Amino acid sequence: MKSISLYTDRKSVLHSLDPINKLYYIAFAIFIPIILPSIEISLACVALSFTLLISGKVFTKTMPAFGVVLFTLLTVILIQGLFRPGNATILFQAGPFTMYREGLLYASILSLRVINIVSSFMILVLTTSPSDLVDSLVRKGMSPRIGYVISSVFQIIPEMMAAMETITDAQRARGMETEGNLRVRIRAFFPLLGPVVLGSLINTKERAMALEVRGFNAKSPKTYLLDQKQYRFSTVIQWGILFVIGCAIVWRLAS
Amino acid sequence: MKKIIVENLKYKYPLTESLALDNLSFEVEQGEFIGIIGANASGKSTLCQSIVGLVPHFYKGAYGGTVIVDGLKVMDHAVSDIALKVGIVFQNPFNQVTGSKLTVLEEIAFGLENIGVPQTEMLERIETVLELLNIAPYRERHPFDLSGGQMQRMAIASIIAMKPNIIVLDEPTSQLDPEGAEEVFQAIHRLSEQGITVIMVEHKMEKIAHYCNRVMLLQKGKMIDFDTPEKIFSRDDLETYGVTAPVYTRVCKALDLKIPGTDYYPVTLEQASRVLGGKIK
Ligand SMILES: Nc1ncnc2c1ncn2[C@@H]1O[C@H](COP(=O)(O)OP(=O)(O)OP(=O)(O)O)[C@@H](O)[C@H]1O
Ligand SMILES: [Mg+2]
Repeated sequence: MKSISLYTDRKSVLHSLDPINKLYYIAFAIFIPIILPSIEISLACVALSFTLLISGKVFTKTMPAFGVVLFTLLTVILIQGLFRPGNATILFQAGPFTMYREGLLYASILSLRVINIVSSFMILVLTTSPSDLVDSLVRKGMSPRIGYVISSVFQIIPEMMAAMETITDAQRARGMETEGNLRVRIRAFFPLLGPVVLGSLINTKERAMALEVRGFNAKSPKTYLLDQKQYRFSTVIQWGILFVIGCAIVWRLAS
Repeated sequence: MKKIIVENLKYKYPLTESLALDNLSFEVEQGEFIGIIGANASGKSTLCQSIVGLVPHFYKGAYGGTVIVDGLKVMDHAVSDIALKVGIVFQNPFNQVTGSKLTVLEEIAFGLENIGVPQTEMLERIETVLELLNIAPYRERHPFDLSGGQMQRMAIASIIAMKPNIIVLDEPTSQLDPEGAEEVFQAIHRLSEQGITVIMVEHKMEKIAHYCNRVMLLQKGKMIDFDTPEKIFSRDDLETYGVTAPVYTRVCKALDLKIPGTDYYPVTLEQASRVLGGKIK
């Protein structure tokens, strides 16, 4: 079974925690640097996130995502450092360009926030299997329909990609060019759309019927085949995170 | 007891011109094993879906007449309510995989979870159907990693586990090899002996003749005939409805050997060998 989920199965404390905790941590990573906007706090948050990623043995898996993020942030840093209105203190000059302290500081804080948020999502995505996350949420009261949509996306998209491959193979077998330069590939792509899109529409309709007759919309209370996974320290972690956010707010208001 | 009562059922899909079901009336008793046969597009699948209420509730379209299933008038009840009494297995096994479960075990549990079967009973039921359909070895397999035939067995198991009183199967053995198909037929036969009412669309006429109490012949949405396999397969005009009689019937017809004391030709191997055996000796 091919998977589009980024979940990386490792043994670590992070992997064994309730997925809900990781959602709390995302909130933490978003709000703390906003509530306390100093660069030191942002740095500390990024350090914490990185430590967690390393402890979860998934830090290397974050590299592709961070590659893209850092590239984007680099352009932000350049533009802000060079052209931000209110730039006054010159840091250095390179040819016709002048880099300013204010813009650079602003862009750095912004970048750290983004890196922190991306890291917190990485913690969730890399150390939690989608089905565990959905299971936790549904048992917390999220609608099973939304849960279904989330978990099926992870499986049905790979199936669609496999279907696409089958059709490409069939077309290649009939002598159609499907490989080569971009133009050839694009031209090969359009005839694919018909069968794949039409096919998935029909599949979706049939699958909807199959779900319906298996009581997907039944009004009776749902039961579960598998016992709820037992996670440890969830309450402590969640209240702890809320407490820290609370403290941050108080500190901000007091100072 | 009458399990299915259909009166003057007419149905037209949205945006189509002709009736997919044209004035059908029939009744089915509890525990009967009914076969539905007919050419492509004769309305077999549509009829199946009208018994579980997908026609008209899912498709909409123009609907006339009444269908009463296990005491429920289909028109007045939601599919999820009817589903507690009638199970349906569709033609394409792939599209019956929910896509949200990670193992065969969980996949079969999907329907049971939805209708609120307690966990211990759920486990018992799943074990039973895994054995019944011979898929116990794949219980931990990912549902999409099964072969077409295994998926088909899983789809049937998923429905049987919900313990419907009536089970509708639309070409349930299309992806199975002859041996697999025979196994599935025997499993369904066992259910039928336990009093479950079975409606099955199938192109393997030898199997229909062997297992069904009665056979319904459809053409262009109309019911041409609904009778015992012997009577249906002895009809002279079968070919015009796109149906080929079981090979035993064709052989005996060619030899003009009827079942003694009747006007009908043998439809199963046993009947044929009895008739032929008598001749040869
Ligand atoms: N969703 C739909 N929308 C419109 N028309 C449909 C739809 N499904 C089936 N039909 C039409 O209804 C008629 C009966 O189709 P149905 O699928 O019931 O036939 P069938 O006997 O099951 O055929 P097959 O042996 O190919 O499975 C056909 O003319 C078909 O084109
Ligand atoms: Mg059909």
